[in-house]
Amino acid sequence: MHIPDGLIATNEPTSVAIAVGMWIVSIAFLVWSWKKAQKTYSRGITALLAISSAFVFAAQMINFPIAFGTSGHLVGGTFLAVLLGPYAAMLSMTIVLLMQAFFFADGGIMAFGMNAFNMAVIGGLSFFLVKLFTRGQGGSRRFIPSVFAASWLSVMTGALLAALEVSPAFAGGVMVTVPSMLFYHAIIGLGEGAITAVLISSIQRMQPAIMGGLTLLKEKTKL
Amino acid sequence: MNKHLAVVAAIVVFLAVFIPLASSSPDGLERVVENLGVEEHAPTWNGIMSDYAIASIENPYVSTLLAGIFGTLMVLIAGLLLGKSLSPKNPKVPE
Repeated sequence: MHIPDGLIATNEPTSVAIAVGMWIVSIAFLVWSWKKAQKTYSRGITALLAISSAFVFAAQMINFPIAFGTSGHLVGGTFLAVLLGPYAAMLSMTIVLLMQAFFFADGGIMAFGMNAFNMAVIGGLSFFLVKLFTRGQGGSRRFIPSVFAASWLSVMTGALLAALEVSPAFAGGVMVTVPSMLFYHAIIGLGEGAITAVLISSIQRMQPAIMGGLTLLKEKTKL
Repeated sequence: MNKHLAVVAAIVVFLAVFIPLASSSPDGLERVVENLGVEEHAPTWNGIMSDYAIASIENPYVSTLLAGIFGTLMVLIAGLLLGKSLSPKNPKVPE
């Protein structure tokens, strides 16, 4: 769901205003998450942060077919949020998106604020969904289903926001973009949920010690 | 450290195996754009390896794989720098 610059109608004030507005909102969230991450950060998770971000980049390159000649790929927001906690996850996903936009023109530069919000900020915030669904019990039997649900919801939320943000470029506006984006992403989100659930449960089984976000899940993480 | 290198190597193997299997169909947003017949105008920035391909390499598999490995390493380096700058400057408790 990386929005290209080609979908920002530069001759339409609404379109430009949304792009600029989302840049400002995303920067505000990133500054906030930077401050919060610094407070809770432990040097020990640097390797985990770097490697999990690199994996998310690689995984995003692999599109899986859904139906109707359409594909999707892992976004990985909830995956990073569960591993790293909400704040480091937002920053880590932003790095992935930056590299994609700069080197590979995957996602626009003007559209970067939108993409950062839809995937990095929403992805990081999905941590609180996992926390809500597990009732703060990271180790409970609800954990993996919660990860699945939060992943699906993070993709749906991102798709909804993307649909709203690009709507000025479509003649039918939000009335056409919202239903069609939600339709395809409801299916893509199932892939996101399944992949994230498998990844997290494998890591939990093989490397229980590195689940840094899990510790956060049990603690009282306040917004 | 060796364990970390092993995971990075595993990511490269993952790319090598899955790149040929990846779907080339449009993704959700591209599908919506196609369905609704919206014309995207020219982008302002074309990237350095647009569409995850290195222009000078003809073989599409090698081209995408090398672009993917390059991107993975760039994210890895940026992630290490991010982790470093988030780390407390003067840790009271030595780690």
